Amino acid sequence: MSVTNIDTVDNFVNFVRSPSLTVVHFSADWADQCGQVTDILKELSKLPEVQSSGSKFGVCDAENLSEISLKYKVDSVPTVILFKNGTQIDRIDGADAAQISSKVRTHSGAKNNLDVSPKQSLEERLKALINKHNVMVFMKGNRDAPRCGFSRTLIQILNGTGVQYETFDILTDEEVRQGLKTYSDWPTYPQLYVKGELVGGLDIIKELQASGDLESTLNP
Amino acid sequence: MVYTEEYLKEKLTKELEAVHVEVVDESDGCGGKFVALIVSDKFQGKPLLARHRLVNSVLQEELKTIHAFTQKTLTVDQWKAQN
Repeated sequence: MSVTNIDTVDNFVNFVRSPSLTVVHFSADWADQCGQVTDILKELSKLPEVQSSGSKFGVCDAENLSEISLKYKVDSVPTVILFKNGTQIDRIDGADAAQISSKVRTHSGAKNNLDVSPKQSLEERLKALINKHNVMVFMKGNRDAPRCGFSRTLIQILNGTGVQYETFDILTDEEVRQGLKTYSDWPTYPQLYVKGELVGGLDIIKELQASGDLESTLNP
Repeated sequence: MVYTEEYLKEKLTKELEAVHVEVVDESDGCGGKFVALIVSDKFQGKPLLARHRLVNSVLQEELKTIHAFTQKTLTVDQWKAQN
């Protein structure tokens, strides 16, 4: 899905007639900011939730299609106008990336990707968290402020290896805290995962360190 | 329930047919804390994670209330080598 070039009035009328969301970028070659908007729309058009909503993206030269520009009171570029069924439903004047992005998402019915769909099961959520980084640590607190002796020691050991890792504070999320214990069949924290697989807790990390196998385990 | 070193030592010895078990109670303000050394040939051929899981399953009930548990799992040969 990409951005369609609209070069005649007829094309324009046909384009915006769609019952799904159509997003038209009124542009001009000489305006630098239009390049920015073009990029923003290209990225938006690639988003799966936007694609599945059937939304379409188009660009037209504001000066060439002056009739249209006049009709929709486009007096500066870039301007982005959102249409449905041939009617203007929203617009953004100027290269305001945040507004363009959020309005396109809202009107295409796409969920804001920060929302966690209630249908997403705890299991899916845990799987996603475990795989967030090659080396994932589920601990009490975070690497700058561990809230338990075992978690603190684990972080110290990891820092010593120089390996990149990410942490999740189980004290901030009771659902994950209990859920992960069941999911991985492991009763305690901290828990270290490498490439989505449980390596173990502090004991195991210490033993790996003592036997010299720690680095190879973290970097398989 | 508050567990004692003896209780845990006995259970581990029995369930894992352990040759040698040491349990030290390091409980503090945080809750029940125990450090255990278990020597058993049931660990033979098992990687670390599997060994610890085995111990975890033996102490499944107890671990629900024990706050922290540190374990070292060795086979008879490994233990002999250490000594």
